[in-house]
Amino acid sequence: MQKNKSGQMKIQQMAFMLIAVTLFFALVGLFIVNVLFSGLKESATVLEEKNAILLASKLANSPEFSCGDSFGTSRVNCVDFDKTMALKKNVKAYSDSDFWGVSGIEIVKIYPLTQGNTLCTVENYPNCGRLEVLKASSGTGVSNFVALCRKENVEGLVQNKCELAKIVVTYKDAGS
Amino acid sequence: MKVKRGQLQLSFAWIFAIIVGAVILFIAIYAATKVIKTGDTAVSAKTGKEISVLLNPLETGFETGVVTLLTMPVETRIYNQCSTSGNFGKQIIKISQMSFGEWTETDLETVFSNKYIFSEGVEEGSNFIIFAKPFEFPFKVSDLIYLTSSDKKYCFFKPPREIKEELSDLNQESIFVKNGAESCPENTVKVCFGNGSGCDVNVDEFQKSVEKNTQNGSQIVYYETDSLMYAAIFSDKNTYECQVKRLMKRTSNLADLYDEKGALLAQQGCADSINLQSLANSANSIRDSQDLSNLNPVVNQLKAQNGFANCKLW
Repeated sequence: MQKNKSGQMKIQQMAFMLIAVTLFFALVGLFIVNVLFSGLKESATVLEEKNAILLASKLANSPEFSCGDSFGTSRVNCVDFDKTMALKKNVKAYSDSDFWGVSGIEIVKIYPLTQGNTLCTVENYPNCGRLEVLKASSGTGVSNFVALCRKENVEGLVQNKCELAKIVVTYKDAGS
Repeated sequence: MKVKRGQLQLSFAWIFAIIVGAVILFIAIYAATKVIKTGDTAVSAKTGKEISVLLNPLETGFETGVVTLLTMPVETRIYNQCSTSGNFGKQIIKISQMSFGEWTETDLETVFSNKYIFSEGVEEGSNFIIFAKPFEFPFKVSDLIYLTSSDKKYCFFKPPREIKEELSDLNQESIFVKNGAESCPENTVKVCFGNGSGCDVNVDEFQKSVEKNTQNGSQIVYYETDSLMYAAIFSDKNTYECQVKRLMKRTSNLADLYDEKGALLAQQGCADSINLQSLANSANSIRDSQDLSNLNPVVNQLKAQNGFANCKLW
């Protein structure tokens, strides 16, 4: 009877030991996994940021924004304000497809600052200072300077008018 | 009953320890395999996203004729997939890399709507050549991106002067340009312009078609503009046809934009009337590359109208 009791004790000891060993290795494993994948979220944010920076620098030259040859010769980093206003009206097709892969695109006039921060609408165009092509609810913005050109009727004569602006691309941080 | 000497005696404690030990070992091995697989998937997804970011500068149109060399640390497969769903269709990239002598398998895809990559369905190697060329129809629609493994050699046989100059400017060891006097090296994809013998790809500049001789027979696709001709050479039929449809979707959307811009300019006193609705409708309803030739008269007419307009739309 005494021998049986001592055997049971031994089995109990072994079971506790095995559970402890399993728990120990499980915790070590979890720690390793955590260390291995802790950089993933950071990498995703860095890639989103890189994408937004490159997009801000190239967006002005993409067909939906670029001046092309509309204002004489071909221009670099030139945004066609008339075309962008037309894009604003048709932006749903682009936003539904997540066309640019960013959460927001905005064009802000810098100089001359005659219209302040007034948001551009069909009614007040071109007397406005800020055009929200794609409205961002939150995120980090990166910007690039551009020439903002449009056609303007001055005393019956259609002329090219270019102003200084910046294009702001907003991206969402990974995990937010 | 007495137990014979020499007979294997296993106490309950030992049997219990062996069974539990085996279970623990099994769980540990299973977890380790899962962690390695997750790690591989993460690397593939990251690489896919990195490629998409790397392709961004190619879309400015100022990078024409410049080759970007994509060097991977290990042997890599780039799966180029395309879908025509949605307003602009989708460009899908999947990456598989060699790990412990096996190709990693992942379902993670990098998807973008504003890029057009022309390549074979699967490109394999550790070095890839990427270059871009703008596609105008009649306004600029996008920059087409050509991707090919540097292991795959192309030989352009008797190309026209402009193509010859353009290809020579790329300055790539994997792209040979030969005139009639020299023959193409062995183990190269021979691309013939006009007549030639033993050609893998035939470019008919009169019909504006590219015919590829594959194991499954010959496949023919049609093009307009040089940028689509390169696209047809470097990609397979499925990819090409799908990307052409996507390009036409974007052409249609851009035509709507220019139409809207025309209305805005009319308010400023620009009386030019360029009707883009016909292009917008026909580009959206294209069935395959053969229909491109039907659009060509409309495109040429619009190009001329815009050229003579007081207020150019593009």
